[in-house]
Amino acid sequence: MSLDYVKFTPGFGKFMPKEYRDMVEAGPFGKKTTVSQVGTFKEILEEHPMCAGCAMTLFIRLAIIAFPNPEDTITVGTAGCGRLAISQAAIPFVYGNYGDQNGVASGLSRGLRLRFGDRPKDVVVMAGDGGMADIGFAQTLHSWFRKEKFTTIMLDNEVYGNTGGQESGMTNKGQVLKMAPLGKKFEKMDMLGMAKVAGCAYVATVVPNNPRRVESVIKKAVLIAREVGPTYIQAYTSCNIEYAIPTDQVLQDCKDVENDRYKFTEYLTDEAKEHLATLYGYKEYLPKPAAALTKG
Amino acid sequence: MYLVANIDQEICAATSCKLCTQYCPEANTIQYDTELGKDKGFKYGSAYVAVDRCKGCAQCVWVCDNMAKHKAIKMEMIDQIGDQALTENISYHGKTTQAVLASPWKS
Repeated sequence: MSLDYVKFTPGFGKFMPKEYRDMVEAGPFGKKTTVSQVGTFKEILEEHPMCAGCAMTLFIRLAIIAFPNPEDTITVGTAGCGRLAISQAAIPFVYGNYGDQNGVASGLSRGLRLRFGDRPKDVVVMAGDGGMADIGFAQTLHSWFRKEKFTTIMLDNEVYGNTGGQESGMTNKGQVLKMAPLGKKFEKMDMLGMAKVAGCAYVATVVPNNPRRVESVIKKAVLIAREVGPTYIQAYTSCNIEYAIPTDQVLQDCKDVENDRYKFTEYLTDEAKEHLATLYGYKEYLPKPAAALTKG
Repeated sequence: MYLVANIDQEICAATSCKLCTQYCPEANTIQYDTELGKDKGFKYGSAYVAVDRCKGCAQCVWVCDNMAKHKAIKMEMIDQIGDQALTENISYHGKTTQAVLASPWKS
């Protein structure tokens, strides 16, 4: 894993597809790119088979742009809509069996630490609410209790979108879906609370209608996961097919849901704040001078 | 026939908010060219759509109408729009991209 793995063998560049040549020449590898520069560099994500106007795709696109060191990142995913886009990116993608993505990421993260020592190699798990809160629930929670150092991102579309609209643990109470005609009988699972209890160093909720906030949340989560402990991001990424949202109203729905039940929240442990302030220069987390000193 | 997003370069080059480039769910579909409006005397460059990648979801239309309030993007039939960019005609130059606009329908 280094910058060399994206480059051509000398002499073979002219035979490569245009997209690949653009990625090597104008991609974000080894540079600092931000969301505000989008549209002027070749993105790591390529064309993908996800539905038109999917908010999950928008979140995945922003998340991949926001990775602090894309050349040193591995993504792990599992069955679900998300892997259709995450696997179409120019960074390595590991496909776990359904539900074992956090187990796979634990081994991967430990192995990379043994092989590369202090050089940062980031492991980022991106999976849906079904893979993380229902079928992979045990592995997800156990990886947090073991304090495995990697980032877990839940793409919460509140439904099993890929298989026709069954209710998941993250569906809201009373929600009627195609394969849940009587409405869901119990409350949405409190994964944020469980992440805090299990000892995550950083927990955040985010909605993709604020790209710069998505960028800042992903950057913090990945940087904290390098040394402090597990980090968890829960992102609302609506399913416009199963919830019958017209594609041009997807962002309006994001806005409504953000105001209603998915407000931006961020939780950091003191150790995580100190880590960000001392190593990465986050000024807002520097210890504040005592009140008596500032008055004098 | 199908709909793709079409950006009015005269409105875009007068404001240059770049919001649509950030909100498109498709990668490298709405691109930005810092020179596109300048030859017509506008202050900034303009965004443009790589029509071969556009899936026609119209999220950029909502963003331009409701967030930026510029109303520069419309959905139009691909055989009825004028010169547009295709991925194969886009080149990257550091802080900008450059697109050779041509009719996607006649080629």
